[in-house]
Amino acid sequence: MSTEINYLIPWLVFAIPILGALLMPIVARIGEKIRDYYAIFITLISAILCASMLPIALAGETFHHQVMWISALDITAGVLADPLSILMSNIVGWLSFSIMVYSMGYMKGENNMTRYWFLMVFFIGSMQLIIFSDNFLQLFFGWEGVGLCSYGLISFWNKDHKKDYVGTVGKKAWGIPLAYSPTHAGSKAFLMTRVGDASFLIGILTLFYFSGTFDFMELSKSHTWAVELAKSGLLIPVALFIFGGAIGKSAQFPLQEWLPDAMAGPTSVSALIHAATMVKAGVFLIARIGPIFVTAVENISLIMPFFEFVAWIGAITAFLAASQAMVSNELKKVLAYSTVSQIGFMMLAFGVAGLTSNFIVGYVAGFFHLTSHAIFKASLFMGAGAIIHQTHTKYLNEMGGLRKQMRLTFIAMTIGAASLAGIPLLSGFWSKDAILASILGVESSFTLIALYGLASITAIMTAFYSFRMIGMIFFGKKSRHLSKLEKSSGKHIHEAPVLMYAPYVILAILTLALGFTGPIYEGFLANSLGHHLEYAVGMEIHEHVFSINLIAVSTSILAVLVGCGSGYLFYINGKLNPIETVKNIPGLLTLQKFFVNRWYINSLYYIVFINGSLKLSQLIHKHVEVGILDKLNTVVPKFSIILSTLGGKFDKYIVDGTATRIANFNILISRNVRKIQTGITEQYVFFFALGIILLTLLLFG
Amino acid sequence: MLLLQAVFLPIILAPLIYFIGLRIGKNVGWLVFLILFYCTSLLLYSGFSSPEHLESYNWEPIGEFGLFLDGLSFPFAALIYILSTVIAMYSIPYMAHRIKEDLHSKKAISDTINRKISLYYALYLVYAAGMLGTVLATNLIQFYIFFELMLIPSFFLIAEFGYGERQKISLMYFLWTHVGAIFLLGGILTIGFFGGSFNFFDLNESGLPSSLRVWVGIAISVGLLTKLAAAGLHVWLPYAHAESPTPISALLSPAMIGIGAYAFLRIFLFILPSIYPTIVFAISLWGLLTMIYGGLMAYAQDDLKRLLAYSSVSQMGYIIFGMGSLYYLGVTGSVFHYVSHGTGKALLFMAAGSIIMQTGGVRSIKKLGGLGSKLPITGIAAMIGFLAIVGVPPTSGFQSEWMIFAGSFAGALETGSTGKLILTAIALAGTPITAGYALLTIRKVFFGELPSEFKNIKDPSFHITIPLLFLSALTLIIGIYPSVITDNLVPLLQNVFGGIG
Repeated sequence: MSTEINYLIPWLVFAIPILGALLMPIVARIGEKIRDYYAIFITLISAILCASMLPIALAGETFHHQVMWISALDITAGVLADPLSILMSNIVGWLSFSIMVYSMGYMKGENNMTRYWFLMVFFIGSMQLIIFSDNFLQLFFGWEGVGLCSYGLISFWNKDHKKDYVGTVGKKAWGIPLAYSPTHAGSKAFLMTRVGDASFLIGILTLFYFSGTFDFMELSKSHTWAVELAKSGLLIPVALFIFGGAIGKSAQFPLQEWLPDAMAGPTSVSALIHAATMVKAGVFLIARIGPIFVTAVENISLIMPFFEFVAWIGAITAFLAASQAMVSNELKKVLAYSTVSQIGFMMLAFGVAGLTSNFIVGYVAGFFHLTSHAIFKASLFMGAGAIIHQTHTKYLNEMGGLRKQMRLTFIAMTIGAASLAGIPLLSGFWSKDAILASILGVESSFTLIALYGLASITAIMTAFYSFRMIGMIFFGKKSRHLSKLEKSSGKHIHEAPVLMYAPYVILAILTLALGFTGPIYEGFLANSLGHHLEYAVGMEIHEHVFSINLIAVSTSILAVLVGCGSGYLFYINGKLNPIETVKNIPGLLTLQKFFVNRWYINSLYYIVFINGSLKLSQLIHKHVEVGILDKLNTVVPKFSIILSTLGGKFDKYIVDGTATRIANFNILISRNVRKIQTGITEQYVFFFALGIILLTLLLFG
Repeated sequence: MLLLQAVFLPIILAPLIYFIGLRIGKNVGWLVFLILFYCTSLLLYSGFSSPEHLESYNWEPIGEFGLFLDGLSFPFAALIYILSTVIAMYSIPYMAHRIKEDLHSKKAISDTINRKISLYYALYLVYAAGMLGTVLATNLIQFYIFFELMLIPSFFLIAEFGYGERQKISLMYFLWTHVGAIFLLGGILTIGFFGGSFNFFDLNESGLPSSLRVWVGIAISVGLLTKLAAAGLHVWLPYAHAESPTPISALLSPAMIGIGAYAFLRIFLFILPSIYPTIVFAISLWGLLTMIYGGLMAYAQDDLKRLLAYSSVSQMGYIIFGMGSLYYLGVTGSVFHYVSHGTGKALLFMAAGSIIMQTGGVRSIKKLGGLGSKLPITGIAAMIGFLAIVGVPPTSGFQSEWMIFAGSFAGALETGSTGKLILTAIALAGTPITAGYALLTIRKVFFGELPSEFKNIKDPSFHITIPLLFLSALTLIIGIYPSVITDNLVPLLQNVFGGIG
């Protein structure tokens, strides 16, 4: 039962957008409308190609095609189309398409759209390149490609007008401002992920020495590299360094600080890059390499510390970010923190996979959550974009009471938020439940309890901030800002145009659909990913049958009840006043401030790394560079005149006329130092030319 | 005769160019461009047609005058001439602008301008040929002669066309390079004296008394590290490179100083292979220091060209670091990085030149801003240039950097050196320093609010934008298809290291 596809298809999935993006400036010359449709058309083609590969994924098969790349080093380039990459590419491809359509509406009337489309399309190509790469080196090309596009798109409004700032201008924590201009935020994102990338490179380059290859298939075929690595004690460090790349790209603790500020970009960008696709690249990387490491070691306990680390980072990040999502006053930032937190959940699942006896359980849970989150978060972001567009504010406290005026958006976002909160029978419920259930399979009881506890608390917080967000946007009284806005413009706030709402309404419907078919989708994932892991990677897989884990289900339902219930009371039904409550309960105000100030982690980084290194640079410049080394510039001329005189004598003694002439020339120059300053260069050039002619004569005479 | 033509045609034609230039003025640049274009074609043809290419001529009394192109010298030679060719075109408007600016008068006498521009191009040709001759030389004396032949015209170019206190700075540059050169000469002569020949192919380190070897190694290293502007020996570089006329900065900074790396590899890998392993740790450490020191100093600069000059110091650190890797991949990376940094830094200096020209001489980063919308091509070129030196794919900088670090890891693991392993990890962890100043500079120069006095500026003429686009494309092509460099280089180095290991 072999499913044949044309070997070019996986190549084209990323080649079409990448090359197509390069043509964007040319297409833009034909006409703006044509350029817009062209951009969307390319995305659609790429997505259709992804879909055409679905039969391979369904059959759990693997398609691999390679060409020689750097022949001297025996490095190949290639595409690896297996269930993991094909499913991921479809999520990316189709979400990209819907967000590109949304962009037409959202970015209407913006300048510099050629740049926007170029970066978006190039981004999609780079992301697909990551997904289909069959080796680390090629993957890194896509990896940095998405990083660059992300940098360019966060900085899209590069005039840095105050209105485009993310965060509240003027607020500070430990003296460090909490508001950033778009180009600052873009640079921050690039730099922080770059720190992760340095770690990533340390990992893969060391691995390259031991294995002689970057190729995933080869790494899973031969296992001597793992034995050698383990022998030298570098197995875990190498795995962790590689994970460092994922930490950076997926904004996990301790490199999570760039993502909230990445919200300075257009909302369509946040939806595509900083919620649905790029930030999942780190998760994808772990899904790609996790099985390789597991099969490569003789005994899974050798690699367990790595998975334990991944799980812990995931759990800590999930908790940390959720706490900040509960107090953020900016709509997009709530969603950003929530993204960081949910990616933490995915990491947790992939980490847990390696800690349980059946790898596939956590693996499927992680990928399931990746799918459901990508869909509902893209929908939420696009909805948020529509709201910000209509209300001219990004602050939650300047919204309120919009449920009647923006009915479709209200319904779509509520579905998304409910799925995020984990309300039963929605996609988020199933996937979160799968993660909780997978944690229960962890063998070490301490880890089990700690991780399960963190995950459950985070689930409560998630439910709470989801309802808080919906409440503050759609319920309660209309804010003063909105009344003023309606009065000044004379128009009522109304629903977004169809080009904008169609994509997120469709995604909301998809969220519902995935909710109804949750267990079926999970079963499908278990089948096709499991089949792949078993036959292509060579892993031992126990059959994973979908079953309802009562402990997990009751935990998640309890979390929903507590989280949503309190969110409902505070923000929807209005029985309790959140501001009063925080004031009245001792300690809560401090805690709130702590969360709002991002646990001071952001400030700490700025103080130590940014201000610290700038200060260090100034100090060294003042005291070493100017203070000491520049003095050499007065010593050296004196010294060199002595030396060149000596050198001239040395030459005369040892070599023949040629070298002597040169040395004499040196003396000539050094003796005539003063004369040069009169500026009669031509004279010297004349001597110089004479010297050359002499030399040439010597040579051929 | 291909290589002989490539080296000597520019030298022989230089006086002619001077006299033609007196008549036709700045358009003589096109002739220079054509000459160098022809010579570059010869060079590329030789390099790609066979892995090794040797031309040998009788040269009494020193021995043979040879020109040798192999996997090691080809990347250096090709970059030197490619850059020289495109910068010849770039110089046409830039130098006209520079000379007029320098004469402080709007209606300068055209004779004076013509004389100056002819002088520039005559020196330029000799300078380019001198650099090429250095990397093609087959014996040490020949090498040293060409080494001088590139120094002298560059000295005049700075003294005559530079900015600021140019006379003082050109002298400083000249003396510093000579301090290095004298160490080098001392080392070379000692080798030749004991080795019985100056010819690379005949030289044998076995004749060298073991007590002298260390000293020869140190002398040559110090000489060449001065050229490479390693930390501590770098103080001349920021002055020279910042105050040179910008096209010359674009040649000096990446192409010329990197020749130190070529000489280092040629001498230590092929002539002194027994000394090489004893100094690698020191070289790596020095490279790491240079990397970080140069990078940190770049943050303290406000002058755009000075910032780029410090960035060159830092980038030389990467090259030096790779030279100390004691593994073929690391050395491949070093050579590769010469090319990557060469295209990247040339792009940056040329972009800086474009800004200087269009803004009427503004170099202070504080006074710039928002230029991205006004100078889009300059902005894109600067971005790609920075990506190349930061080492971001798909620019060639990524290919060279991963090879440097992979090679260094491999060298460390091969010899079981934990110290080296840690050095390499620190070096890699230090790479965000480069990204930091690159992003900061891009932000301050190209983003943000546009100062009102720049409302009406636009990208310069095609003389400048075409070279910018060409080099941008070049760095991307090499980044995606690195085999153009590695195919001949890697087997050569594998062979050499097979002998050393």
